[in-house]
This record gives sequence, C-alpha cells and structure tokens, in this order.
Amino acid sequence: MATYRIKVDPDLCIGAASCVTIDPATFQLNDENKAYVLDHGTEPGERTYERDVEMTDAEKDNMILAAQSCPTLAIFVYDEAGTQLFPEL
Amino acid sequence: MRFVIIGGGIAGTTCAEELRKLQPEAEIVLVSEEAHPLYSRVLLPHYLKGKVPRERVFLKSEEWYGKQGIEWISDMCVVKLDSKNAFVELSDGRELPYDKVLIATGGDLQTLSEDLRGVSYLRTLDDADHLLQMIREKERPLAGAVYGGGFIACEYINLFVQEGIQTTAVFRGPRFWPRVLDAESGTLLNARLAAMGVTVMPETTIERLLGEKELEGFATHRGTVACGILGIGLGIASELAWVREAGIEVGKGVLANEYLETNAPNVYAAGDGAEFFDTVVGHERLVGTWMNALSQGRTVAKTMAGERTAFRLVSSYATNLLGLEIIFVGEPDRSHADEVLVRGSAADGGVTQLFLKQNRVVGATIIGRNADRMPITKLIDGQVDVEGMKKDLENPAVIL
Repeated sequence: MATYRIKVDPDLCIGAASCVTIDPATFQLNDENKAYVLDHGTEPGERTYERDVEMTDAEKDNMILAAQSCPTLAIFVYDEAGTQLFPEL
Repeated sequence: MRFVIIGGGIAGTTCAEELRKLQPEAEIVLVSEEAHPLYSRVLLPHYLKGKVPRERVFLKSEEWYGKQGIEWISDMCVVKLDSKNAFVELSDGRELPYDKVLIATGGDLQTLSEDLRGVSYLRTLDDADHLLQMIREKERPLAGAVYGGGFIACEYINLFVQEGIQTTAVFRGPRFWPRVLDAESGTLLNARLAAMGVTVMPETTIERLLGEKELEGFATHRGTVACGILGIGLGIASELAWVREAGIEVGKGVLANEYLETNAPNVYAAGDGAEFFDTVVGHERLVGTWMNALSQGRTVAKTMAGERTAFRLVSSYATNLLGLEIIFVGEPDRSHADEVLVRGSAADGGVTQLFLKQNRVVGATIIGRNADRMPITKLIDGQVDVEGMKKDLENPAVIL
C-alpha cells in the first residue's frame, strides 16, 4: 500500500468520462460535467478535485490506466514524495 | 507472429502497446499516415485556445516506438490489402506480410470542392498549426464563419468567439445534429449562439467561395457573407476503396462484429472507421470518440493475441458550445428509437431526450442538464425496463 495524490484540472477536463469508465471508485462526474476524485467510492470531507488516496499496487495501476485514458491529460498523479508519476515528464 | 496495424492514432497505437504486453516476442509494425508520433486530437482545441502548449498534445515520443520494439512507419499510407495472400502494400510500393492485421485508419474529412487561403479544417495537429497561424496573421477586426452543425463546428465557434472574431454559424439542417436533436434542443443551442453574438444561418448551403487567393466570403442561396476565415466541420466520410477491393465488407465504415473481426480471416477493425456491432444498443454503428477508439484498441489486441474478447462500452460524446454542455450517450440517432421521452425545455435552459427501444433506453442527448448523465448511462448499461418509470423520466424536477 502507498498513498498517491490524485488531482483533476477542471479547466482541462471536458467530461469525456474515460476515467469514470475505467476507475469509477476513484473518479466520478459532478454536475459541472467535470471529473472529481473519490477514495474507494467514498467522499470523506467535501467533494474535491484533489485527494490523497491509499492504494494497493493493483488499484494504483488501474487508476494510472484511467489517467492515461484521459484525452486531455487532465489527471495528475504524484507519489508520497511529490514526484509526478503521470503525465510522465 | 507478425502483426501489422494500419493507422497510428489512438486505436492503432493502443493496440500495438497492448500487443507488446501480451506477446513480448511478436513482430509489430505500425503504419501511420501522420508524420508525428501519437498526439491527442482532443487536446487540439485546448492548444488552439492557449490552455496547453504545443508539446503537451503529444502522448508518445518518437523514441517510444523503438523502445517498445514497435516498427513505426510514419508518413505512409496503405494502398492495398490482399487478404488472401496476407500482405499490405504501402504507398512507397513496399509489401508487408502479416499474420494478423488491424484496420484503424479513422475517417477522411468531408471537404469543400474549392480551397482558398482562409479556409480551415480541423482534424490533425498540422491543421491546428495552420489555423493558429491564420488567426495570428489576419488583420482585426476579423469576420469569421463556421460551416457545419456538429462537434468540430462547436470547437471553431468557441475558438472564434474567444478570439473576438465576429462569427457567423452556417449549417445545412434546421439545427445542429438534425438526426439527433429535436426542435426544442435546437432552439436551446440557437438561442445560446445568438445570445453570445453569433449570427445563425440555418438551412443554408455554401454554394461557392469568394476571393482570388485569399478568402473574402462565400455565396449561399440566401445571399453572400463576407469573411476572412472559414472553419469547416462537415464531419467525416470514409471511401475505403482499398478495403472493399480486399473483399472486406464496408458500410459506412469497415464492418465488424462485437469482437471487432471483419468478414475476412485475420483482419480486424477498430476506432472511428469501424462500423462494429454495438452490443449495448443492438446494432452496427460508427462511434467517433477517443474512449471508444482507445477501448477498441485495447480489446482487439486481446482478440488478435488469441484471447477472443467481445467489445462493450456505453459510448458517450461530450462537448461544450459557448458554455452550454452537450452530452450524447449510447445511440443518439433518433431513427433507432421507437419512443422518445423529453425532460426539460429550452425555456428552462436544459433539454434531455431519452431514446427508447422496446421500453429500454438505448440512447440520450443531454443539453444543459449534466446531472442526468450518470443515471441515464446506468439505465442504458443495465438495459433496464423503464415501463413503470416513464412519468419520472419525463419530469425534469425528479432527480434520476
């Protein structure tokens, strides 16, 4: 298990919903038609575009797959040290 | 095993990437008409509007292909496919034998018969570069026009309005997406265009362009319109003569079953140009979205690698016209429905149409009512019988 910071840039998100299709436990669409971030299907605290989520390797792989599928690269993923895992720099 | 993939867009490149994971030893050849490595066409509007720099549209580097052991043949077309002798012929005359081949060539733009400087198309990165250069170079004030009533027309309108270009929207039907939207939805869109200062010319066909080398305007049966820039968004059409000549069945696209297999052995189709059997809605159709192309690339790779896998996705389109969200889910062509339910109205600022076939929702259009999207997607996905829910579905005040 490790913790990942997952962030959606709502200005880039166009509501294509590819992330929701691949990883609905981490991403859903709000009423603005923008993806927001969940923690295993739940929303502790308020609804947010950015969240730290603890994940297994398998969960992380699927979340990265969801981020990779975003056609506007609106999803950013960082590890605990703050290193950007996706999009790769 | 030797795989040849025709088309270097998101469907073809995803298929190549997945095949490499599934078959580390296989030979994989990717033939791309583009000179650029894979980029996101969906990011081009963001690039045009200055939201992302040009380098951000690229999804792969030139080195990526070699590192993956994928032979990337760029800036090249396939001119012939011989499905009996299992080879494809490239535009430079080379012949590539295959064990399995994927057709993922997307679609061809519908173009005007004339061309002048000032006319723009928007499909590729090169098109976007060209458009950006024109917008920068043209003197202001600038009058612009957009021809077409679909997704690309929306992108042009959003861009032109942002750039302060006095914009006229010209389209052949009575409204945008006439086979999809009802009159109420059309009223909503036309009202938004007018409210944002766009001149709307429905049921209008451009008869000829005006100008010698530089575009000065165009003529229609309603009269002439002066403009220095004209964005064309008339959709895509695929000729696919080389596919037909190979004995592969072609309808509006390359015909394929739910496994994305064509009628020819070891020939598969995926992406915008594949007219595949959509198990969600129960008939063959073309879907031109990023998610569809990416998912089909991933699924067809499994089948090509020997793990026969059916493709299933509730497709959805999402765009925005001057701040108004437009979403299509499932099959949005009204002709496939035997009943249509409508929620909301233009006066309320939002209209949702639900398309039913035998009491099951097979598609929907959602304009200005984003909250309807996810519950309707679930109804389509679950093929739920909505016989007892119709009153609620038609009541815009009921939260689905």
